[in-house]
Amino acid sequence: MTSHPANGLDDVVHQRVRLGILTIAHEARRVEFSYLRTNLELSAGNLSQHLGVLEKAGLVSLEKGYAGKRARTWVTLTKAGRTALSEEVAQLKLLISQIERTPTPPD
Amino acid sequence: MTTESAYAGDDPRGLLSDARELAQGVRRAQRATWFPLLVFAAITFVAIPVLGFSSPHLGSCVFVYPAGRAVAPVGRACAVDYTAGLVYWPIAAVLAYVAIAAFYIRQSRARGVGTRVRPYAIVGIILALVVTGASLWAFHHPSARGVLLPPGLSNLGNPASAIGYALLVLAWAERNRALLLVALGYTVVVLTRFTFGWVIHTPGFVVLPNLVVDGSVLLLAGIGFALAQRPWRSAE
Repeated sequence: MTSHPANGLDDVVHQRVRLGILTIAHEARRVEFSYLRTNLELSAGNLSQHLGVLEKAGLVSLEKGYAGKRARTWVTLTKAGRTALSEEVAQLKLLISQIERTPTPPD
Repeated sequence: MTTESAYAGDDPRGLLSDARELAQGVRRAQRATWFPLLVFAAITFVAIPVLGFSSPHLGSCVFVYPAGRAVAPVGRACAVDYTAGLVYWPIAAVLAYVAIAAFYIRQSRARGVGTRVRPYAIVGIILALVVTGASLWAFHHPSARGVLLPPGLSNLGNPASAIGYALLVLAWAERNRALLLVALGYTVVVLTRFTFGWVIHTPGFVVLPNLVVDGSVLLLAGIGFALAQRPWRSAE
């Protein structure tokens, strides 16, 4: 018996904000904390929590530094993060195709 | 500022659609297409006086025959070699790529997203060096020019074509379809080299029409992209 595609979703990645962080980090290669905060419309505290979860899972690495006198935090996707993101996207596409194939029951 | 994300919903389609929008937003933030186009326009226009006031000399010549059954040639057509161009183009190209790379890195820091300019700058510099090497070789082996490249393809290795190839690489690096169209259009212009019947009698300025056309295409494209990307710049 084939398992349902939803079973293949990783709880760490299958979360709206964290999927957004991974997507942006993948596209940008290296992204600054403030860009994520602005574009995901999050508070600094909330974003930090999500980044902490991703860092603990080894999906992103955080690098702190300074640009002039301003403290900056840069987020980079790890190899495991890239794999996790591509697997999540593949599972979502599989889920969509499965939903589309399932006939709608009559009312 | 809310503590919730900007996503509309948790359904798979919504998640993928939002991911695509976020990815497109990053691409828009990474782009500064107008800058390389204006830099290339600048080095093309600067080439006009540099080459024009240098001392070109005639390279290999062919006899020109009129249409019909004429047996006597009406004149000779000669290639014009610009030794100044052999020095100017590589220096200008390397400086241009350094300026472009520096601009992209500065913009990347200001906007908070990484940049993909490094492969573009490296490919651009390699292209400039290859074209310069080919020009040097052709300069020292004038009789072999027609053997290496047929007459119709002789523009494949000129500096203007190298700019076109570099723009194609930039379109790939920026994943920018509009730039891809511009780069293809520009490359076609420099490869086909249409003439509109102009006759230049001053040897130094034989290339002037080509440089004016090339520079104008780049300048107009640069202004177009600057205007198109202006809302993003003002939103910083």
